[in-house]
Amino acid sequence: MPDTILVVVEQREGKLNRVSWETITAGQAIAATTGWTLEAAVVGASVSALAAEVAAKKVAKVYTVESPKLEPYTPDAFAAALKQFLTTKQPKLVLMPHTYQVRDFVPKLATAMGRTVISDCIGFKHENGKLVFTRQMFQGKFAADVSFASDAPWFVTFQNGAFRGDKAEAAACAAPVEAVSIEIADGVIRNKPQEVFKEAKQAVDLTQAEIIVSVGRGIKEQKNIEMVKQLAEALGGELAASRPICDSGWLPMDRQIGSSGQTVAPKLYLALGISGAIQHIVGMKGSRAIIAVNKDSEAPIFEIADYAVVGNLFDIVPPLIEEVKKAKAGS
Amino acid sequence: MLIFRKPIEGVERPQMPADVVIVGGGPAGMACALRLSQLIDQHNAAHPDSQLSKENIYVLEKAREIGQHCLSGALLDPRSMRELLPGFEKEAPLDAEVTKEAVYFLTEKSKFKLPITPPPLRDHGNYVISLNRFVKWLGSKVEETGITIFTGFAGSELIFSDDSKEARVTGVRTDDKGIDKEGHKKSNFEPGYDLNAKIVILAEGPRGSLTKQLVNKFNLAKNSNPQTYGVGVKELWEVPPGRIAPGEVIYTMGWPLTTKEYGGAWIYGSKENVVSLGFVTGLDYRDPRLDPQHVLQDFKQHPFVAKLLAGGKMIRYGAKSMPYGGWWAIPPVAGNGWMILGDSAGFLNSARLKGIHLAIKSGMLAAETAFEALKKDDSSAATLAAFQRSVESSWIKEELWKVRNMHQGFDHGFYAGMFHSALQMVTGGRGLRNRYPGSAGYQHMRKLSDLPTDGGAEADLLGPAKGDGKLTFDKLTDLYHSGTKHEEDQPSHLVIDDTNICNTRCVKEFGSPCQNFCPANVYEMVDDASQANGKRISLNPSNCVHCKTCDIADPYQIITWVPPEGGGGPNYDGM
Amino acid sequence: MKQVPQKDAPLKLNETAAWIRDDVSYEVNEPDAFALEESLRQKEKHGGEVVVITSGPARSQQVLREALAKGADRAIHLEDNAFVGLDAFNTAKAFAAAIKDEKFDLIFTGLQSDDYGYAQTGVILAELLGWPHATIIMQIEKTDTGIRVKRELEAGFFQFVDMPLPAVLTIQSGINKLRYATLIGIKQAKNKPIRKVPLAEVQSAIGGNLQKIERLYVPQKTKKTEHIEGTPNEIAKKLVDKLRNELRVL
Repeated sequence: MPDTILVVVEQREGKLNRVSWETITAGQAIAATTGWTLEAAVVGASVSALAAEVAAKKVAKVYTVESPKLEPYTPDAFAAALKQFLTTKQPKLVLMPHTYQVRDFVPKLATAMGRTVISDCIGFKHENGKLVFTRQMFQGKFAADVSFASDAPWFVTFQNGAFRGDKAEAAACAAPVEAVSIEIADGVIRNKPQEVFKEAKQAVDLTQAEIIVSVGRGIKEQKNIEMVKQLAEALGGELAASRPICDSGWLPMDRQIGSSGQTVAPKLYLALGISGAIQHIVGMKGSRAIIAVNKDSEAPIFEIADYAVVGNLFDIVPPLIEEVKKAKAGS
Repeated sequence: MLIFRKPIEGVERPQMPADVVIVGGGPAGMACALRLSQLIDQHNAAHPDSQLSKENIYVLEKAREIGQHCLSGALLDPRSMRELLPGFEKEAPLDAEVTKEAVYFLTEKSKFKLPITPPPLRDHGNYVISLNRFVKWLGSKVEETGITIFTGFAGSELIFSDDSKEARVTGVRTDDKGIDKEGHKKSNFEPGYDLNAKIVILAEGPRGSLTKQLVNKFNLAKNSNPQTYGVGVKELWEVPPGRIAPGEVIYTMGWPLTTKEYGGAWIYGSKENVVSLGFVTGLDYRDPRLDPQHVLQDFKQHPFVAKLLAGGKMIRYGAKSMPYGGWWAIPPVAGNGWMILGDSAGFLNSARLKGIHLAIKSGMLAAETAFEALKKDDSSAATLAAFQRSVESSWIKEELWKVRNMHQGFDHGFYAGMFHSALQMVTGGRGLRNRYPGSAGYQHMRKLSDLPTDGGAEADLLGPAKGDGKLTFDKLTDLYHSGTKHEEDQPSHLVIDDTNICNTRCVKEFGSPCQNFCPANVYEMVDDASQANGKRISLNPSNCVHCKTCDIADPYQIITWVPPEGGGGPNYDGM
Repeated sequence: MKQVPQKDAPLKLNETAAWIRDDVSYEVNEPDAFALEESLRQKEKHGGEVVVITSGPARSQQVLREALAKGADRAIHLEDNAFVGLDAFNTAKAFAAAIKDEKFDLIFTGLQSDDYGYAQTGVILAELLGWPHATIIMQIEKTDTGIRVKRELEAGFFQFVDMPLPAVLTIQSGINKLRYATLIGIKQAKNKPIRKVPLAEVQSAIGGNLQKIERLYVPQKTKKTEHIEGTPNEIAKKLVDKLRNELRVL
């Protein structure tokens, strides 16, 4: 019997968290290199519809781990349910996305089973038959390859964006769905969560943004920031800036990126009129993709950019806004 | 609108009594604390019925950690450490013993070794050290003896008994914490404490802010030469093995400076392939466009330096001023309730380019006077005058007397200076007359209208360095490697008396030299259409490396450096 | 609380490349400073005692001293070099063993550490003690049945949770302004007790690490910069093409 990889997807109030597709992609990649079987599980009160969605991807089987006590989410319920399931199932590897919810329960689950979690991984390697997982250490200054020194099941959580959700391979035909019923005794659940609600955040948290449009000195005047704001909105991203812009009060301090501001690693970082002084670079060099626009062909920002536009940002941003709007409307 | 830091008014300050407050945890302050502790221990052992306490002896250190703001080449003459802690070599972090010295005169492409190393620069028997690590170690010894070092607290003003000329210094006020950029209290505001002390000892390093306050209030400098300074800009490098031996010492003069500037470079080989190098530029140069950090970058391009550093990595950057004025520029060092030590007083041998051993010795002598004062419970001017006398009869005076006219001899250029210093060497320091007059460095700065537009011979030293990113660096990149961090939301601690002078006069007369002499990009003239000259002074105070160059070099003398909120500043690990 | 290398300190790998060299400056893990601040505020509101605990070599005592100077009442130091290499699981086991005779009502930790960034120790500790827990907490209110906490979720969502005591909470950073230690606080801290717990005392509770850092290395960037050229309109079109097809953000 080959070993199993189990991907535990995340759902809330009947909707799958998109990041789960990334975990499926990760599972498929590991299955491909190790030859292990890939399965998935959905946990909740009534999740068969979601399981069907997952079954459309190339996995061997999907489990529904159900109990009315799994709604709303509590760490006690999730840990108890999954411990029951995993003790019988005994997968080799359990994969989850590194979400706030997973952080809340998976260390508890692993500990209850006498196991451990390698969390917030950005990749994996299969060397000489051994699986190691790569993660960032010291806030990105170093990378570490970490291996398990314990028995299975091994728990791994993957960082948002470490794998591409759109690359999860679809199945030729739907995978079988197996229902697993779970007993959660009274008194296990100790937390009483209330309704989830949204609140206007006082400060913007750039570390959560997927797209960041950032301005530097090249913007010249405060009134020009309006144009960049439009670009950020068109792209669905957040506005940010290098230090001098915030020091001048043109944008609030919580929009500052750099050694004295925030450190971000979004999917896309668009640097407009930013020269790339090292104080700024250290705050964004971990971005998955960097596009830089600057008049000066020698600006240090180009050393770390994936796409470089040597030109005047005032010429380039207006047509860019138009093209982005067109693309979004068309699709 | 620029809001400048000043002690907040209308707030009740916690009062804390103290026997001795030492402002500054550098080599002078730590040596003073350690010596005082030794004397008290000795006394207590011999007098079990009249014990002296160390409970109320404090060292105030503005850095977050001991030694964090200490920067020097450095070479330590072990003379005073051997007096303070016999056998110290066995436990102190000494990087290497000096094995080899060479002094070079440089031209742009070549170097000429002086056939004989001038006696002041002979360093056999001295040690290459990291002052930061050394002070960390010395500080740990102070803490072990039970003296409290308050890190993250700055001495922000002196407390006087009254406004008269005979006023007593009665204490030190520490910095207000939690004040925002506009000068208002934040929710975590903590007022500075009033440390009411019997004896206040100022060991703030070069151009101490409390020392400046004291000297100005009592006109202490009226009989001394004005103090003059240089600024040392330093980089620490890791180089491939075999480039330079640990303990190898190189000094250079000449290029890239012209005969009109005073200064030179040092290169010290430390252990583990680390090289300490830097350039000291006298802050009495003529052209306001001169940029000391640029001078260092030029220096590194000399073939022999470039070869030494090729393939290496710059790991740390910093800058600090140093007092060159010598014996005649030292003000009275003791008074009613106060004493001044080390670089704050000006105890630096500018011929040997060493001051650490003198700082330590001055700390020890002050401790002895403080001890006597504590025993008698009398810290009046008369009692503390013993410190003045002991300095004057110690080897501090002996050493500094011989070089008392050294720096002043260079007032008329390099060749005149060499002539005078040679003469001084054979006349026990006298040269042509017992006391050469001196002048403050900023007075040498000429207006742009008096200088060639293109800078003439000094052209390469002017304006910001561009840097190639491998051997040479622009100022911002260098600055990043100083590890400088401050609480961002606080008022500017660079206090400018009148920013109109910056925006209307200085920008035309001198071209805003603050942008050039500051090694940390604190000062910037930004475009401002509403100003007559289209430019306005803008500050980045959180870049400040606490070198004091601006306070020293500003031609209008309208900049006063005061300590920012304690805990902020550079991080001179290994420097 | 944890002592970690200073954020901007230049770090170097040690000879085996399994960890970093020790000779750097250290500071308190910033998220833990927020946890401490919250505990001091709770003490100001409801009275009680704040105890701080850390594990690490002698140098990590600095973290405890600073906490005591800010107002914590006493400290526990699991002092040994060996604690540095322990994984989160064993660190939590060591803590659980060290505090077995204490009667805490609440245990706070920071969100995660600035060096490892695992975000696990608090949750593991809760499981070992058999206590309920909640993570990424913004607010804590006392109730008749225990506490009501405000939990932060992703994308601007929040949730209140009622919990019984005793409980473990991991505290969100930035929720309060951190207080300064005062001179008097620093002086008083010298007389506050620090209980030293040697490795031997908790040895039986911990085991071998369940995971192993095979190697630590500087991440290599294989970056090739592609220049986009043409008229502004052409550039705009090319960029949108990249955004859509290569970067998949449109």
